[in-house]
Amino acid sequence: MNDNKAIRIALTKGRLEKDTVGLFEKMGFDVGELRDKGRRLILNIPGQNMEVVLAKAADVITYVELGACDIGVVGKDTILEHGGKYFEIADLGFGRCKFALAGKKGTDFYGGVGVKTVATKYPAVTRHFFEGKRMDVDIVKIEGSVELAPLLKIADGIVDIVETGTTLRENGLEVIEDVVPISARLIVNTVSMKLKKERIEELAAKMKEALGE
Amino acid sequence: MRKYDLITPEGTRDLIFDECAALRSISEKLRVIYTGHGFSEVITPGLEFFDVFNSKSRHYSQEVLYKLSDAKGRIMVLRPDSTMPIARLVGTRLRSSALPLKLFYNQTIYRANPKESGRDDEFFQSGIEIIGGDVMRADIEALSIAAEVMESIEADDYRFEIGDSGFFALLFSKLGLSDRELDDLREYVMFKSYPALDEMLGKFGDNKYAKAIAGLSRLFGGREIFDEARKILPEEAMPVLERLEKVYDTVCRLGMGDKVTVDLGIVSKNEDYYTGIVLNGYISGYGMPVLTGGRYDRMLADFGADIPATGFAVNESAVAEALLKRSGGMLIPAPDVMIYSDEDSVVEAVKHCRKLISEGMTAEYADLPTKEEARRLAESRGIKRLDTVAADGVTSENIG
Repeated sequence: MNDNKAIRIALTKGRLEKDTVGLFEKMGFDVGELRDKGRRLILNIPGQNMEVVLAKAADVITYVELGACDIGVVGKDTILEHGGKYFEIADLGFGRCKFALAGKKGTDFYGGVGVKTVATKYPAVTRHFFEGKRMDVDIVKIEGSVELAPLLKIADGIVDIVETGTTLRENGLEVIEDVVPISARLIVNTVSMKLKKERIEELAAKMKEALGE
Repeated sequence: MRKYDLITPEGTRDLIFDECAALRSISEKLRVIYTGHGFSEVITPGLEFFDVFNSKSRHYSQEVLYKLSDAKGRIMVLRPDSTMPIARLVGTRLRSSALPLKLFYNQTIYRANPKESGRDDEFFQSGIEIIGGDVMRADIEALSIAAEVMESIEADDYRFEIGDSGFFALLFSKLGLSDRELDDLREYVMFKSYPALDEMLGKFGDNKYAKAIAGLSRLFGGREIFDEARKILPEEAMPVLERLEKVYDTVCRLGMGDKVTVDLGIVSKNEDYYTGIVLNGYISGYGMPVLTGGRYDRMLADFGADIPATGFAVNESAVAEALLKRSGGMLIPAPDVMIYSDEDSVVEAVKHCRKLISEGMTAEYADLPTKEEARRLAESRGIKRLDTVAADGVTSENIG
């Protein structure tokens, strides 16, 4: 990245990647290489002086924060869980879902005086949510299907990403309270934002335009 | 069981050879700049009482401080910053000094970063503090010295950024928000979280202060932003803008125009820390600012000396790292001569060594029992000349 005009963007592999590539196509970029990428992880957009890096969500943040990539597309869920120092300049609107607190249908999560146990893949988000309520909870970090925890009786509730709520329903759980809405965000390294201002602002404006804002 | 005997703690590292050379060369360059402008060096303890960093203008949350306790059970901190210890020094031993007092420092700093974040917990930092003096003149002096620092680093590209924490100090107070909301707002502005910012400020509708906050946080760039700012700022904030513009103009007249940008969205992490002009320096190839500073007019009052002050700090470890990355390693020359002697001629050999050094050469005495081993060591180190010292004199031979 010695060329001051070149921009490196990190995309979260999977759905956000597909949505972003779709957006790039709408912006008139040549996304051939992005669509037909094989196993390569660093790709070019011809004519745009832009390099695309594909990474896991949390790594997108790490690369942007450390300046290895100038900008990144990542979900608000990862931003909230991971924290860090970078600019979050736009809500891209796609990848919409929410964090929600859920529990077994018909049970009163907030009832009683005992300390509640909450299972989650997102301990930082969960801690922040309950700190906001000035409530002590025990948090259990689960890696896989969090819905199992209340069914196996190791937790009173879960904090997880909810899209349609189907998984919850099929397992006899329901949303108790919404925690925070989620969507894809455009994040920028704090130094790149200053050193490559024109290019980044131009790209962000084009993306917003293509999103129809 | 010794589990950690072969590794260093996370966030720390051993610096070896060219890493040391790069760091020392930066330190020396900056020291020459600081002393050239009449600044005097101070060294403060690596260990301080927690209370020093727990003042009203505290800038460091508990989580970033490395804490330990002394024999009396008092909480101590590995210094996370040099400015507060210097403020303590100014409030006590340097209290009767003539103002302005111009100090510089160069010492290690300790900050506990989130684990596995790839940041250093221990790093070398140098910087200056101008205590007292006329605000405008001191600000300009600090900026121009910071510019010399950035120039001396010889990065591929560098940029300087100035702002004023006064805008938000003024605007935030007009919204009637709770402390918690203010903390959130400050963070949104600091990290340019435009979506969250717009949502929060949207509640205020047409409120001119809310609109100014939303607008300011997006304003950074060159001279044009001053005109933009005039359109959106309320009357009360104009003096702050004029002050910043005057500083910007002066900096441009110093010939730094193409390197300086203005960011009106700079906000102080804690409302009591920075109180005026704020500056950041960036170099390409390093993802965080390498130079940070600004005016802190309220901090010294916390230490019993109500004096305005300004200064900046340079992350020398970061600069050295970027320098090494760019140059692909610094060349540290091998000694000119390797000296070997048998056991009986040790004294003569040491004297010969001293003689060569006094003549301006570099000479290494091979503490080895045989000439063959000395020759092999010289070859492996890239030394081109081997001197053998014996009772009947010195013989030189070229090797390699």
